[in-house]
Amino acid sequence: MMSPLRQQFRNWAFRRNPEAGPIVLNQRRIYILPTRQGLFFGFVLALMLLGDINYNLSLGYVLTFLLATTGALSMLYAFRNMAQLQVTAGRAEPVFAGEQASFILHFHNDTDLPRHQLVLHARDGHQTTFDLPARQASAIAFRIPATRRGWLASGQLGLYTEFPLGLFHAWSYLHFEQYCLVYPQPAAASPLPAATALHGTGMHSQEGDEDFAGLRNYQPGDALPRIAWKTLAREQEPQVKKFSANQGSERWLDWSLLPAAGDERKLELLARQVLDASAAQLHYGLRLPEAELPPDSSPAHRDACLKALALHGLDHTPPAVRRQADTSGQHLAARIAAWAGRKLRTPSAGKSQ
Amino acid sequence: MGWQKIAHSFRREIAMKPAPHQVYGIIAALFMVCLPHAEHLPHWVSAVCSFLLIWRFHLAWTGNALPSRWLLISFTVAASAGIAVSFHTLFGRDAGVTLLVLLSSLKLMELRTARDANVVIFLACFIIITNFFYSQSIPTALFMLVTLLAILNGWLAMQASALAWRARLRMAAIMLLQAMPLTLLLFVLFPRVQGPLWGMPQDAWAQSGLSDTMSPGSMSKLSLSDAVAFRVSFDGPPPPQQLLYWRGPVLWDFEGTTWKRGQALLTTVHDLQQVSMPVDYTVTLEPHDKNWLFALDMPTSADVPSRISGDFQLLSRTSVTTRLRYRVHSQLGFQANTEESPALLQRALRLPAAGNPQSRNLAATWRRKLGNDAAIIHAAEQMFHNEGYTYTLEPPLLGNDSVDDFLFHSRKGFCEHYASAFVFLMRAAGIPARVVTGYQGGEYNDLGQYFIVRQSDAHAWSEVWLAGQGWQRVDPTATISPARISTGLSAAVPGSEALPFAARYRSPWLLKLRFNLDLFNYRWNQWVLGYDKERQFAFLTRLGMEEVTWQKMALNLLAGVGILVALFSLLILKRLYAGPRDPAVRLYRRFCRKLARHGYARSDHEGPMDYASRASAALPHKADAIQDITRRYLSIRYESRSDPENLRALRHAVAAFKL
Amino acid sequence: MNHSAQSLQTAIQQIEQIILGKSHQIRLALACLLARGHLLIEDLPGVGKTTLAHVLARTLGLQFARIQFTSDMLPADILGVSVYHRDSSEFRFHPGPVFAQMILADEVNRATPKAQSALLEAMEEHQVTIEGTTHLLPAPFFVIATQNPSFQIGTFPLPESQLDRFLMRIQLGYPDASAERGLLEGRDRREIIATLAPQLTPADLQTLQQQVAKIHVSPALLDYLQAILRHTRESAQYVHGLSPRAGIAMLAASRAWALLQGRSAVLPEDVQAVLPGVVGHRLQGTRDNSLTRGDKLAMELIEAVKIP
Repeated sequence: MMSPLRQQFRNWAFRRNPEAGPIVLNQRRIYILPTRQGLFFGFVLALMLLGDINYNLSLGYVLTFLLATTGALSMLYAFRNMAQLQVTAGRAEPVFAGEQASFILHFHNDTDLPRHQLVLHARDGHQTTFDLPARQASAIAFRIPATRRGWLASGQLGLYTEFPLGLFHAWSYLHFEQYCLVYPQPAAASPLPAATALHGTGMHSQEGDEDFAGLRNYQPGDALPRIAWKTLAREQEPQVKKFSANQGSERWLDWSLLPAAGDERKLELLARQVLDASAAQLHYGLRLPEAELPPDSSPAHRDACLKALALHGLDHTPPAVRRQADTSGQHLAARIAAWAGRKLRTPSAGKSQ
Repeated sequence: MGWQKIAHSFRREIAMKPAPHQVYGIIAALFMVCLPHAEHLPHWVSAVCSFLLIWRFHLAWTGNALPSRWLLISFTVAASAGIAVSFHTLFGRDAGVTLLVLLSSLKLMELRTARDANVVIFLACFIIITNFFYSQSIPTALFMLVTLLAILNGWLAMQASALAWRARLRMAAIMLLQAMPLTLLLFVLFPRVQGPLWGMPQDAWAQSGLSDTMSPGSMSKLSLSDAVAFRVSFDGPPPPQQLLYWRGPVLWDFEGTTWKRGQALLTTVHDLQQVSMPVDYTVTLEPHDKNWLFALDMPTSADVPSRISGDFQLLSRTSVTTRLRYRVHSQLGFQANTEESPALLQRALRLPAAGNPQSRNLAATWRRKLGNDAAIIHAAEQMFHNEGYTYTLEPPLLGNDSVDDFLFHSRKGFCEHYASAFVFLMRAAGIPARVVTGYQGGEYNDLGQYFIVRQSDAHAWSEVWLAGQGWQRVDPTATISPARISTGLSAAVPGSEALPFAARYRSPWLLKLRFNLDLFNYRWNQWVLGYDKERQFAFLTRLGMEEVTWQKMALNLLAGVGILVALFSLLILKRLYAGPRDPAVRLYRRFCRKLARHGYARSDHEGPMDYASRASAALPHKADAIQDITRRYLSIRYESRSDPENLRALRHAVAAFKL
Repeated sequence: MNHSAQSLQTAIQQIEQIILGKSHQIRLALACLLARGHLLIEDLPGVGKTTLAHVLARTLGLQFARIQFTSDMLPADILGVSVYHRDSSEFRFHPGPVFAQMILADEVNRATPKAQSALLEAMEEHQVTIEGTTHLLPAPFFVIATQNPSFQIGTFPLPESQLDRFLMRIQLGYPDASAERGLLEGRDRREIIATLAPQLTPADLQTLQQQVAKIHVSPALLDYLQAILRHTRESAQYVHGLSPRAGIAMLAASRAWALLQGRSAVLPEDVQAVLPGVVGHRLQGTRDNSLTRGDKLAMELIEAVKIP
């Protein structure tokens, strides 16, 4: 579709660094050129004009000018179809390698104009077409195949429209600091390691506060709230409610215990194990060469484990965040203090009555 | 075909199959475009096109596959062959248009991608323009707008398939409306070049009107046409109806039944004596592809390149292929060519060697009995008047001796019969005479104060040459049916006869409506269709442009286009940058801008009170005003006290706020 | 200015005399109370959490109870138990410490999730159901829970869903130098508290709470609130967007803050003032580093959203 040379020119001419904040598509960001079809239309118009002149067709002039003006108007329409849209980068839910990462872009159309036929496309030709109603915010999901684990950047996306007549191509570039976490692709199937028994058995009960586990006879010193008053009404001896904490079994998904294989393969196996353990609601921990996640069974723990696998050997923060992290955080305390102070200095300045 | 090749290169890019409703849009557009052509296309072509459109509609409806390429190619070849057979050529106007219509209908059958649809759309635009070869009337123009709407609708459907048809039509209409001012400007200022740039096909123009021969039936055939021949506006009061003889070709040679103009006159002497009743007027002549310019008997000069022939016909240098306006000076009272050359007088006496013996006898009798020319003419007129001759549009057929048949048997005829018989009698009696064709009378349009002369006003009369008086007009029709000359055709022929609508009805309000319509048409012809180089220069001069030149026009055009484009950009883009709807917010933003100019800009997330405190601290001398404006704004915006009074107070406060 | 509003100002002054240099936090706590919400204080021991609760209860004339949360705590320890009385052969309900107008739930994250949820459910429902009998909690009912910020072994940090039940989370932080000096120079706080006179009655408090609900909120302000909510839902900076409940909480707190400021309508500044308190514990940053605390996210949120 586009020759490499042209692509190179575009890269050079329209290069922009990734942006963090919202992008408002203003005239400096929108480029317009006639499409091939538009050029052809111009050629047709020129032919028509020649005919008009030759045969002195007054109505022909009218038609030709009307078409030409409409065509030219469509350039304004194309520009208008994109202008003043506000785009912000939304979140991108983590995916497994081999899946499609879905980057959400939020388009705010705060104008009274509905927008039509906007096309969002990536370098590799993936594209999605959508309309934006007036005075609404729309979330557009853009899919990019996730091939490798780690942080997947959305990269530079193109937004274009050829609405209304396809004669003009109005386009702009959107390059956000938007990253999607890509988990390793889980291996096909892998048996879970055996439970590590704490006291010799796989399952055991430990006295605790979690679950009601029966009654026992009252012993002096037992807390009043623990006396089973109901049984007291029936039985002679006071009884006390017994509670247990179900520790379950702990399983360690351990990098070092895996059969010898490549790093990536090991990560894939561990990802599979994490998923299986989580599905079986086991109490599992993860041990990697550089980190150890203590056993748990919550979904958050699963995500943490998968993230650790995804970023094994990689930097844990997305590139853009790394860049700005050291500059932004430090003045926070000062900023909050200054701001709170300002609030307090003028507590009653705004009495409006 | 060239466009097919283009379509292929397009297909590479977008291989998107058009949805049924998109196809319907294209079909509708093409249908609208081809509809006016049905009038002059061969019936089989109309039938084939309708079939193709319906077939395509059916395919889109059912979702069936399009016909194979081989089928289409054979179809195309067959259609081209059909056209070649019908028109005996593939070139020229009619054949070309037919081919275009057929091919675009066929293109519809291989409408597989968006690019194909675009080709059809562009072809449709082209077909519209070919329709202007046949008609450029107001209805055609209106229909063009409707067609454009259909085309834009189909086009939008291709681009934005999600748009509902209503929204699409609305958008198409808005775009067309918005395009109109610029179109007008371009139309007025775009420099006109006098065409043609290259040879025009011979048949580019539809022909109607007088020809340079006259045979029984040729005039009555013309009188069935409502078409306008020309329009005339007089500088002064118009002359009476019976003097409105619009002179056309003069016919000298009689060949049994037909009068012909014959070979060109050897002399071009035209000499008027004893002139009286001068009259100046402007004629707007419809194109008729001849070089005749119609003028009142007798023209003396005109303001276009022309000459006056020896028989007083005003002749243009070139054929009139576009509407032509010219001013003429005529003398209604005259003695023409009193010194006519003997050769011409001889020609004006020539008759075929044989035929029409009864008429010859009659003429000979008159010559014998009466002797002088005036008496003979009077006798002929008396005969027409007294011996039961009637004026009719539907005369019976005549035999070989047409003059005898008419004079002594049928006695029913139209102007050409009378003129022909009269001139025959005169020549037979030895008086030089000739037939003059042209138009007589015209319809006066009160509103526009001009005469409309239609084809139905076509007329033929005679001229005789009398020694010392030169050529004199004698209109035998006037003797038989004086009403034809004084009021027009409808009064002269019986009501049952088939006259064109315009010539028949005379009810006042209908007449008025007709005059209004014609006035409108007149202006249309004058200002829209006849807007050529001269008209453009004249118009621009009237608008105040001194010394109209192309450079100036181009500059004006550029400036005008620039201004209009800027205006339209504002209009179209305004909705994008419409500020906040709340007037209070607009006022408050103005206040913020005032402060921002002095370095105290408000950040977007800063609350009005925080901002006021900050600004007051920085500008203590303005603290009161700042607090006051902020308080008013907050009260309107956040306490919902937005009554007009508060708003006015805020407006005043903001206006008064100066740094 | 009516009677209760006037008393409120006096009350604020009285509290400020005890809790030095924490004017903003005191107002936030009061706003939380007036908005009928509960307060979570996350801070180190010894910065005055208990004192604040005490002073508040005392000044507002509220009946006060303190629950020290421990790991072996049972729901019944909080809510109360039905005790069998042999002599009358019937169960009699012994109300737990939760039956007070103001409760200080100290170190709430030391208790097991079971005990925590017992308290939180009571907070939400304003009633306690034991053995099928429903016991209404007193009104007004206000919980100040404290939580240790650092993750220690043996703690059960409140899960997100439970955090959502607190209208606000605030930090007291260290006093500044002059306040510190005042503390060091002054008398023992406990002694002073004992001498404090209530400035408001529970009835006054309820009147004020009703007034809060009547504070005007204009469409423009709702636009602002919605813009804030929308931003959190769209931005990739946050793991989840704010819930509708958070939006309602924000509005209620803003109204209360406006009342405290003596205004009859809510301004964007009011929203901004309560925003860190209201959303700080509801937002979770996606950027995985220690700096992305809730407060910082809230500050960034304020700066990111335009006031329409």
